[in-house]
Amino acid sequence: MKPFDYTVPTSLDEATRTGARPATRFIAGGTTLVDLMKLEVETPEHLVDLNPLGDRDPSLASVRDLPTGGLRLGALARMSDVAWDTRVKERYPMLSQALLLAASGQLRNMASMAGNLLQRTRCPYFRDTATPCNKREPGSGCSALRGYNRSHAILGTSEHCIATHPSDPAVALVALGATVRVRGADGQPGSERTIPIGNLHLLPGTHPERETVLQPGEVITAIDVPSLPFARRSLYLKVRDRASYAFALASAAVALDVSNGTIRAARVALGGVATKPWRSTAAERALVGKRPSAATFRSAADAALSGAAPRKDNEFKVELARRTLVRALTEVSA
Amino acid sequence: MRTSAVDSPESESADCARVPDIGCQAPDFEVTDHAGRRHRLAELRGSPVLVVFHPPHWDPSWSEYVRAYNRVMSSAAESHGARLLSVVGAGTWHTLAFDDASLDFPAACIDAGPIADRYGVVDEPAVFLIDPDGRVSWRHTAGDAPPSPNDVADALAAALPADAHDPHHDWSRRRFVATTLAATLAIALTRRIAGAAPAPATPTPSAFGSANAITLRVNGRELPLDLEPRVTLLDALREYAGITGPKKGCDHGQCGACTVHVNGRRILSCLTFAVMQQGKEITTIEGLAATAGRTGDALHPMQQAFIDHDGFQCGYCTSGQIMSATAMLREPWGPADDDVREAMSGNLCRCGAYPGIVAAIQSVRKNSATDQGGRR
Repeated sequence: MKPFDYTVPTSLDEATRTGARPATRFIAGGTTLVDLMKLEVETPEHLVDLNPLGDRDPSLASVRDLPTGGLRLGALARMSDVAWDTRVKERYPMLSQALLLAASGQLRNMASMAGNLLQRTRCPYFRDTATPCNKREPGSGCSALRGYNRSHAILGTSEHCIATHPSDPAVALVALGATVRVRGADGQPGSERTIPIGNLHLLPGTHPERETVLQPGEVITAIDVPSLPFARRSLYLKVRDRASYAFALASAAVALDVSNGTIRAARVALGGVATKPWRSTAAERALVGKRPSAATFRSAADAALSGAAPRKDNEFKVELARRTLVRALTEVSA
Repeated sequence: MRTSAVDSPESESADCARVPDIGCQAPDFEVTDHAGRRHRLAELRGSPVLVVFHPPHWDPSWSEYVRAYNRVMSSAAESHGARLLSVVGAGTWHTLAFDDASLDFPAACIDAGPIADRYGVVDEPAVFLIDPDGRVSWRHTAGDAPPSPNDVADALAAALPADAHDPHHDWSRRRFVATTLAATLAIALTRRIAGAAPAPATPTPSAFGSANAITLRVNGRELPLDLEPRVTLLDALREYAGITGPKKGCDHGQCGACTVHVNGRRILSCLTFAVMQQGKEITTIEGLAATAGRTGDALHPMQQAFIDHDGFQCGYCTSGQIMSATAMLREPWGPADDDVREAMSGNLCRCGAYPGIVAAIQSVRKNSATDQGGRR
C-alpha cells in the first residue's frame, strides 16, 4: 500500500476544505477504500477521516424523522443501524431488506450509508492493476468488453465500460426517490446542495472514471428518504450465486400501490445488471393503471429490460432480471 | 548472519562513540515502563541487559524469539526472586511485567532513530548484550534473523562475573540463572523514546509515510504503538502487538477470520486502519472470556460450545467465527438455524464445520435464554 497522511477534520467545513486537495480521499467505513488501497487501485496521498465528525455531531451518524414523514439517514450511519431501525423496517422494508442482503454482518457494522452509495465496482478488471481499465486508468481500454463478463452490466453500458454498480441499498433508495444532501458545493465549504439520488451516479459514457456528480471536497451529509406510504409494502429481491454474502446477479426493488384491483402507483429499480442504480420508469409506466397480474408484470419486466445490451457471458442476465422483477412484483402484490 | 564472539571487556576505544564494539561502553538511553517510570540504561548496572533492535517491518517470527529471550530472563527472575524489570517504551513497547509469567513480546519499528544511530543499527535485526559493567560484551548484527535464544543464553552466562561462592566456577546457563538479575530485555527502538501518551479521544493526525505514536485499547489494556497510518488494525494487532488471535485469511474482507469487536460490535480488522480505532474498546479472542466475567484460563461460553459441538477442524477461522458468533447473538436476528446461517455468512470455514458452528451458537443462545443472565 502506498503511504499517505491521515488527518482528522474538526468540522464539516474543514473536511470539505482538506478533502478538495488533489489525491485526497475521505474515509468512513473503509470497507471499499482500504480494500482498493491494498490493491493499489486507490492510491490517495491524503486520507481524511470523517468518522470523528459523527462523534461530534451524532445526527451525521443516525436515523432521524423528517417532519414530512420521511427519514433522514445520516451519511455516517452504519448499514446495520439503518437496516435494523424499526422506522426503516416499517416504512421502507425494501431498504432494510436490501441492506441486510448486502455484504456481511461485520461489513454492515463498518460501512457507512454514504460510503455504500460511493463504493466502487467489483469488476475484476478494475481491481486488477495488471489489466487495462478505463475506469481505473482513463483511456487504457476496457478489458471486460471482450474478457470474461458474466458479472457485468447489461443496462447503461458504453463501449468504454460495462462495470456493474454493486450496491443493493442504492437500488432501494433510487426506487424510493431519495435525495442526497451534500456539503461543500462549488468549493464553498459552507454551501449545501441536494441531489436526487437518481442523478448522483453518472453513466460511464466516454468517461467511466467519472462515477458521480460530486465535486472534489464535496461531502455527503445525509440521505433523505421521502414519505411514501405505499412503500410500507415493498420488497427487495436479490438473486446471486450463493444464498448469502455475494453480490447480485440481478435484483429488484419494488413497491406497489394497489387499490380496487388497480395499480395506482409503482416503484421499480434494478440492481446487479446496470452501471448505476437503475430505476425503471418504463416499468413503472407499464404497471400503473393495470391490474396486478402475471401478464402485467411480464410486460413491465419487458419494458425494464428493453434496452438491455448483453455481452458474451452475461446474456443470461436479461431473462434473469426479467424473472427477478416478475417474482418481486408477484410477491409484493400477493 | 554474523554473531560476534563473546569477548572480555577491554578499555574503551575512540570509535566507541559511534558504533559500540565489544568491550565498549554501551550508549545510554532512557525508556519508560508502563507505569510511566523512566529508566536509564545506566541504572541497570550490575545486571546484564539485552538490547534488541527490531527491523522496521515486523516479522511475526520475531515475536517467538523475543518471547524466548523473555523466558530465559523470567525463569531466572522467578526462581531466584530477582526482579524482572518491566520496560515499556513509548509508542512501541509492550509489557515485560514484573514477576509476571504472562510476558508479552515487545514489538516496534526502528527507523534511523537516534538510539539506533548510536548503536550503529540501520534497519536490520540486532542484539546487544550489555554486561553488568555497562559494556557491550556480545552482539549480533547484520543478519536477517535474530540470534537463537540459546546463543543469547550462552552469551548472558558468559557475561556474568564469576561467582566466588561457586566452587566450580561454572559458566553454564545455570550460573547465569543463579545470579541476581535485574534483567532487561528486548528494546525496540523508535524515533521517539518518551513517556507513554494517554489514549486520545479522537484519532491523531499522522504525517505522510511516517510512524506515529498511537494508543489502542485492546482487551482492557492500553497498548502504545508506533505505526504508520497505513497499518491496518489487523496488522497492528498481529505484527506489532503480538495479539495473534485475529487471523489473516484473505486480508480483503471476504473471509471473516480477522473478526474482532470494536465497542462490542463485530468488525473486520483487516479493512480498517489502526489509527482510526483509537479511543475504542477493542476485544480479540484473547480477551473474550473476560467480557463474560471469566478469569484465568476459563473459557467464554461460546468457546466452550465450539469445543462441545465440534465447531472447528483446522481452527484457522475459529477465532473469527467465535468473535462473530458472540456479537451476532447481540444483534436482532431471529432464533432459527437459518438466521444463524445468514448472520454468520461473513465467516467462511474451508473445513466445512458449519453444522457444528450452528449447533454451538444455538446452544449458547438457549443456555443464555434459560440463564436470563443475558448478555455475552
